[in-house]
Amino acid sequence: MDAPHAAVDETFRAEIRAWLARGLTGEFAPLIGAGGPGREHELIDLRAAWERTLGAAGWIGIGWPVAAGGRGASLAQQVIFHEEYARAGAPGRLGHMGEQLLGPTLLAFGTAEQQKRFLPGILSGTELWCQGYSEPGAGSDLAGVRTRAERSGDGYVLNGQKVWTSLAHVADWCFVLARTDPGAERHHGLSYLLVPMRQTGVQVRPIVQITGTSEFNEVFFDDARTGSENLVGGEGAGWRVAMGTLGFERGVSTLGQQIGFERELNTVIDTARANGSLQDPDIHSRIVQAWIGLKVMRYTAVRTLASSADGVPGLEASISKLQWANWHRDLGELAIDVAGPEGLVAVGGAYELSDAQTLFLFSRSDTIYGGSNEVQRNIIAERLLGLPR
Amino acid sequence: MSSLDEQREMRRTVAEFLDRQADPARLRTLPPPADGFDGELWRRAVVELGVGALVVPESAGGLGLTFADGALVLTEFSRRLVPGPLLDTMVATAFLSQVDTPSGAALLRRTALEGLSFAIATEEVAGAVGTGRVTETGAWQLSGRKRSVVHGAEVDVLLVTARVDGVPAVFAVDGAAPGVSRIPRAGLDHTRRYAEVVLDGAPADLVDGPGPGRLLDLMWVALAVDSVAAARQCLEQTVAYLKVRQQFGRPIGSFQAIKHRCADMAVTLAGAEATAQYAVQAAQGGGEELSVVAPLAKSVCADAFMVVAAEAVQLHGGIGFTFEHEAHLYLKHAKANQQLHGSGAQLRREVGRLAGI
Repeated sequence: MDAPHAAVDETFRAEIRAWLARGLTGEFAPLIGAGGPGREHELIDLRAAWERTLGAAGWIGIGWPVAAGGRGASLAQQVIFHEEYARAGAPGRLGHMGEQLLGPTLLAFGTAEQQKRFLPGILSGTELWCQGYSEPGAGSDLAGVRTRAERSGDGYVLNGQKVWTSLAHVADWCFVLARTDPGAERHHGLSYLLVPMRQTGVQVRPIVQITGTSEFNEVFFDDARTGSENLVGGEGAGWRVAMGTLGFERGVSTLGQQIGFERELNTVIDTARANGSLQDPDIHSRIVQAWIGLKVMRYTAVRTLASSADGVPGLEASISKLQWANWHRDLGELAIDVAGPEGLVAVGGAYELSDAQTLFLFSRSDTIYGGSNEVQRNIIAERLLGLPR
Repeated sequence: MSSLDEQREMRRTVAEFLDRQADPARLRTLPPPADGFDGELWRRAVVELGVGALVVPESAGGLGLTFADGALVLTEFSRRLVPGPLLDTMVATAFLSQVDTPSGAALLRRTALEGLSFAIATEEVAGAVGTGRVTETGAWQLSGRKRSVVHGAEVDVLLVTARVDGVPAVFAVDGAAPGVSRIPRAGLDHTRRYAEVVLDGAPADLVDGPGPGRLLDLMWVALAVDSVAAARQCLEQTVAYLKVRQQFGRPIGSFQAIKHRCADMAVTLAGAEATAQYAVQAAQGGGEELSVVAPLAKSVCADAFMVVAAEAVQLHGGIGFTFEHEAHLYLKHAKANQQLHGSGAQLRREVGRLAGI
């Protein structure tokens, strides 16, 4: 499944492949296949140690400029990193929100002091981040944020509630979109604040999902505090900063994500072969369709990467999101249909689910989080096709 | 030909020619049976642009374009639904360029010099299997029936798949030769004419080379290109209409029920376009991957085209159901692309078999 790459990139591929093969042994061996969407609750402490090991070896922020502590890796090399990371079965990242969202945001909008304070912690894997955007009243309509941040002395006091906050229970810091001007409406009067999580004014409560497990949280700010030096992009510039974060998506992790998808599909095919359901013409047809669908996503990703210089990243991200979310949700239904009556029974104790059951249930969230299908369709219709609002 | 600038220039030249010559109104108001083939346009395109010999090697007098660059020219024809033999001719000449026989080389030279046109005949009438046999003089003769041959009665040369001792092979048959009957059949699709071809001891040249598998691969890739090109045009025209058509005091394109359908079309088409592009590269490379990518691309792209064309009729409302409006031309062309040279179900089974599923 490798995309064509130059010789220098193949050297890079060999380097990361060898490092991962060595790294995922000994104490880290249990991490293979752990974590990630649907399994974010697994082996938290060991994965935190893995983050520090990755960081010490210089594998975090490889696409960042050398001056900022990165490797200045090319897009092709970043793709290779994600491919090899997925192929090795390396664990779901605890540090990805710092690395992929906050870091690039600080590089674009942060002050020199903020970069100096926060980038090293991200690169070393020693400080973990979570994203404080969504609220009970601000999901798809993010501009409906009501969490307040009021100036108090040399800082801000925050009050309000965030929701669907992945990894809030392990994060040291949260990047928060909060309303600093209570009189302003919608996109105005919002600010982007970096808030320490380990303080009495911050309460984290896990949300039990339809899988019976928890990887998202509610976060309550009750007179939580942060210093004014932790305001990014100036007071009232929060919307611009938060939207800028979305523009950093270049699809470098898409091919890696597809390697994980391929593994899941192969498991479904193996099950269908083993239990005989592959003989069913309808199941067989759906499996071939899934196989073809994965290829189409791969060709789309290859094309997007090849033209990323002149593409519109945000719009291609919307196309890619709809593609994979629908495909993955369909795979979840296929997996449970292939399992048949056996798939109706929990494998272990009270609600210990099989991989197929977890896939079936967790993939329902794919079409909701990170911009629901409906929001993505609005974006494509209005911004790509130019249909009137 | 390879640089992006050269490709843009070539596309522009072809587009300008077609905008001048291929007035859609002229093509689309012809009532059956005058529809489906524009011989005059084809003749001019051959003389002025050399489109018959796009991928014929320069050594044989052709333009020597790569398959990918040829596909760009095809795209300009396809998005306008130009009714003519370009697709089959490009596939035939790309195939013949990979053939190493005197008869293959002679056909390529004649294509460049005389502007030969081709049809690919693969669909057999049930119960009548094409067979080839060697006569006492050492020449090949074919007997059998082929159906739904696109422009089969109009073109100069038929590339026919047939079995010799049970082994599939490709033969070139002169359409005017004795023993060849070409029965025109009215088509569902106004952008193509069809013929049933009856071969009764028809003289034929064995076109030795990569064989019928490769010929079909190239045909599938070309149909994928044709599908996404026409689908893109169809989507663009539909979106343009939705921006101006007013109901309830606003453009209907502002209704979310319509927006979301358009967005789904755009996503489906984006995947199909990427697939067609990948398949074109695979066809050019000629590697092993082509045998999987080609049937995959044909089924994915023809299905995407059908989705877009069907939605175009629906989203145009009543006007989309009239003969006068062109939406039905896309719908009919799309359905034909789904069925020609193997249905989606057949091709998906082939992909599954090759994938080991």
